[in-house]
Amino acid sequence: MTPAGSLLEARALRKAYGPTPALDGADFSIHPGEVVAVMGPSGSGKSTLLHCLAGIIRPDSGTVRYGPHTLTDLSDTHRSALRRTDFGFVFQFGQLVPELTCLENVALPLRLNGTRRKAAEHRARDWLERLEVDDVAAKRPGEISGGQGQRVAVARALAPQPRVVFADEPTGALDSLNGERVMGLLSDAARATGAAVVLVTHEPRVAAYADREVVVRDGVAREMAGAA
Amino acid sequence: MTLLRSRPGTDGERDTAPPALPAARRAPAVWARDLAMGMRFAAGGGREGWIRTALTAAGVALGVAVLLLGASAPTLMNAWHAREKARENLGQAHPPPPGDRTLLYASANTTFHGTAIRGRLVRPDGTRPPVPPGLDHLPGPGRMVVSPALKELLDSPGAGLLRERLGAYRIAGVIGDEGLQGPRELTYLAQSTTLGERDGYRIDHFGKNWEPRPLTAPATVLVIMTCVALLTPVMVFIGTSVRFGNERRERRLAALRLVGADVRTTRRIASGEALFGSLLGLLGGGLLFLAARQLAPAITLWDINVYSADVAPGPVTALLIAVLVPAAAVLVTLVAQRGVTVEPLGVVRHRPPVRRRLWWRLALPVLSALLLVPLVLRHRQPWDDTPVNTFRLAAGSTLLLFGITALLPWLVERVVGRLRGGPVPWQLAVRRLQLNSGPATRAVSGITVAVAGAIAIHMLMTGMQTGYAAAYAKSGQVPRISFWGHTDTWRSTERALAALRATPGVTAAHGTIDLNAGRMPAPGRDLSRDLPAVLTVGSCAELRHLARLPACKDGDVFVTDARPDRDTGITPGATLNLNPPLVYGEPAGRPRPWTVPPAARAARLLPSGDGHPRYYDLLLTPAALDPARYTAPDMQLDVDFDRGTPDAVEHIRNTAARIGPTMYESSSVDNPHDRQLDGVRTALFTGAVITLLLIGAGLIISTVEQLHERRRLLSVLDAHGTRRATLGWSVLWQTALPVALGLALAVTCGLTLGTLLLTIIGTGLAVDWAGIAGITAIGAAVILFVTALSLPPLWRMMRPDGLRTE
Repeated sequence: MTPAGSLLEARALRKAYGPTPALDGADFSIHPGEVVAVMGPSGSGKSTLLHCLAGIIRPDSGTVRYGPHTLTDLSDTHRSALRRTDFGFVFQFGQLVPELTCLENVALPLRLNGTRRKAAEHRARDWLERLEVDDVAAKRPGEISGGQGQRVAVARALAPQPRVVFADEPTGALDSLNGERVMGLLSDAARATGAAVVLVTHEPRVAAYADREVVVRDGVAREMAGAA
Repeated sequence: MTLLRSRPGTDGERDTAPPALPAARRAPAVWARDLAMGMRFAAGGGREGWIRTALTAAGVALGVAVLLLGASAPTLMNAWHAREKARENLGQAHPPPPGDRTLLYASANTTFHGTAIRGRLVRPDGTRPPVPPGLDHLPGPGRMVVSPALKELLDSPGAGLLRERLGAYRIAGVIGDEGLQGPRELTYLAQSTTLGERDGYRIDHFGKNWEPRPLTAPATVLVIMTCVALLTPVMVFIGTSVRFGNERRERRLAALRLVGADVRTTRRIASGEALFGSLLGLLGGGLLFLAARQLAPAITLWDINVYSADVAPGPVTALLIAVLVPAAAVLVTLVAQRGVTVEPLGVVRHRPPVRRRLWWRLALPVLSALLLVPLVLRHRQPWDDTPVNTFRLAAGSTLLLFGITALLPWLVERVVGRLRGGPVPWQLAVRRLQLNSGPATRAVSGITVAVAGAIAIHMLMTGMQTGYAAAYAKSGQVPRISFWGHTDTWRSTERALAALRATPGVTAAHGTIDLNAGRMPAPGRDLSRDLPAVLTVGSCAELRHLARLPACKDGDVFVTDARPDRDTGITPGATLNLNPPLVYGEPAGRPRPWTVPPAARAARLLPSGDGHPRYYDLLLTPAALDPARYTAPDMQLDVDFDRGTPDAVEHIRNTAARIGPTMYESSSVDNPHDRQLDGVRTALFTGAVITLLLIGAGLIISTVEQLHERRRLLSVLDAHGTRRATLGWSVLWQTALPVALGLALAVTCGLTLGTLLLTIIGTGLAVDWAGIAGITAIGAAVILFVTALSLPPLWRMMRPDGLRTE
């Protein structure tokens, strides 16, 4: 991996849950606008790597650098602030706040950043249109399909114009048609905004949307041979 | 299909033929087995199962204890009255002649530092007098037996004046429990050698045919409202606790469905889980009740103090409680599963969101209004304490309180539904409530009923207390204490006045001898139905305190203007009967004629110092009538004193006891209602605090349960960088909104109910705003308390662990 010019870079990450090591010296880097797929079998440490990269959890050792910041040295408050302003997230399920409408869900990260409600909802509506789900803006997550829900989640991740989007099995709960549609929209939108995407998946068809693939096995990340 | 069929066949059979379907078990056996399995899950269902079981048991235990205590109230009062009935006999309808088995018995009650002391004097006529309960034999002459509490008081250093008052008797023993109404009762029984025939009553037994007065309507309403206000939160708490860990229970039930349990079986298993907690609660409630009743001797409420043994519910009531409370807990569990179908692969919730309707929720308040408003409209007439009116009052009040629980969900839905905008925490809370306000509202309805009930009871208390206080303040403007006692001559009255005037702190003492006189018998006249005229005998100096006299010398008589509207037959020269019936309606004795001197002059009565009208029809100087000619003349002594003199009242009481131990005191010195009502108010406040804490516990359970069910979402929000404070505020608003609405509704309903009750019983309106603010503040404190306790689990759940799927 070539860290030169990278936006986000991790070195020698180690993280264990009890006696079980999840990451065992993993390295990773991503450049602005790049889509990197993190692949690997179940329990290989993919999600743990994503959580460390996003500053959600602190690794036991190793460093994560984001621009001028060393995430691993930042306090929880600063990491939270960074996640609000610079990062976006898409998860497999359970991510939309069920009591808020889809529009309010998309506006939520903006509002958490202090954007006023009207402005936040205006931008949220734009993103819902771009993700082709503006017709469900007034509905609650329980009233829409899984595919629509994931597109709303992508809209929410992209609405604050993040520099990095972390997507953890974003199509895991969808059928293949819906999965491909979501991935197409996510990668297009990310490229259009110049956001880097860390895409955790175990499906090669989803990984095909990435510029580059990294395989995590036994807690170690390796560049896929032949990847771009 | 049910779970766990009996094992089909034996090994040998399995080899040779397909197993035959097992014979279906009979329904009771299947039910018992399923319930037993549920109970086993409850006992070994892991942390959540144990918490749920413990919470259900706690709720049921509280409910059972409160119900058992409430159900003990009638039997407690009966026992309290029965003890009084067994030991008392202040007068028989047909007094027995003096004999070996009779005695003279008189009341010698007194008061010491505002506390009433029951005193009784006896003087046996023979060698085998009756003995009251609690004693083996009567105390000897000049001796007394006392209650343990009085002995303790007499032994205390501050009771010197009381020791002096009762100093004529030496303590010879202690009265046993059977002779006391309660363990803290202050009472004594002394043998007096000077007790005269006219001081008391001749009796040949203790115990009388006397039935206790039933509770008055306000008291009945008070008891019922207290039970409703206490029990509703307990029921809400049970409802909340059985829902705890619902998600995991549903998963477990789904797993059971997967291995073959049918829907009814899962319901029975769920019921069994609740039943286990309920049975534990029943046991705990019984123990709690037994422990609580041990506190009974230490509690005095409305001057009633009882023995622990007297706090016992009737057997039928106890049985009903033992059956109905656990059944109610099971019912709540089943109701909680309404609209939920447990399928083998998960739980299906098929209850569409239903908009709450107002019309049926108004049914209870409207019914309440139909019962109460007619009573209000006729309030100008005096309150008629009939069973029907009492029922209407109690039912109306209860329906209004219960009506709140139906109105609150509608109110919360309507108000929350209109809320828009606001910062993120507010939006999250409002949206959550808009989506499902049921759990929060359910828990809050307990607060609402408790607070509304407490406010109404508080108002009732304050209204009554203000009324009493006004009456006492009016009559107590002049520091005065009055005594009545038997006398024979004016000279003895003068000696009593002299003794009182010499007492420390006395500024003035006045006295007269009062007696009644009736008309002489005449054909067609029923003397027993004649209202007697009131005659008073006193020196010219004493009479001048009562009336404006033209001139006065001993031997003069004055006819007053006391009752110009009534024909008393008192005119100069008229003949009166000095032996009228002592009690209205009783047959008259042999007439004792006395003629009003023809020279009697008119006199105008002066108003009394305390504003009460005087009713003396005839004023006489001692030489005009010898009181000894009358059957039972009473001297009335009015003593003014200086409040600044320490213990002036107790010194005066000591003097009065020396004048005559059976002197009856009437004074406005101590307002007993303040103490009585303060006791009730303290109990009410304590009850409200405990109730609100219970609701708080229910709210915490409900909030933490919701957080637990949303832990993945909380992790996602944390991943997005959501501040802890944002979600903390959201929890606060989510708790505060329904509680604030509930408190507003409670204050409105409590004030309405209190106003209605006070109007109905004809007491002036008085609102103790400080008290209401206090109760409301506790409600607000509950919100903060719940939020504060919800924050640690909230922050614990805002961890990335919830994001892990592997």
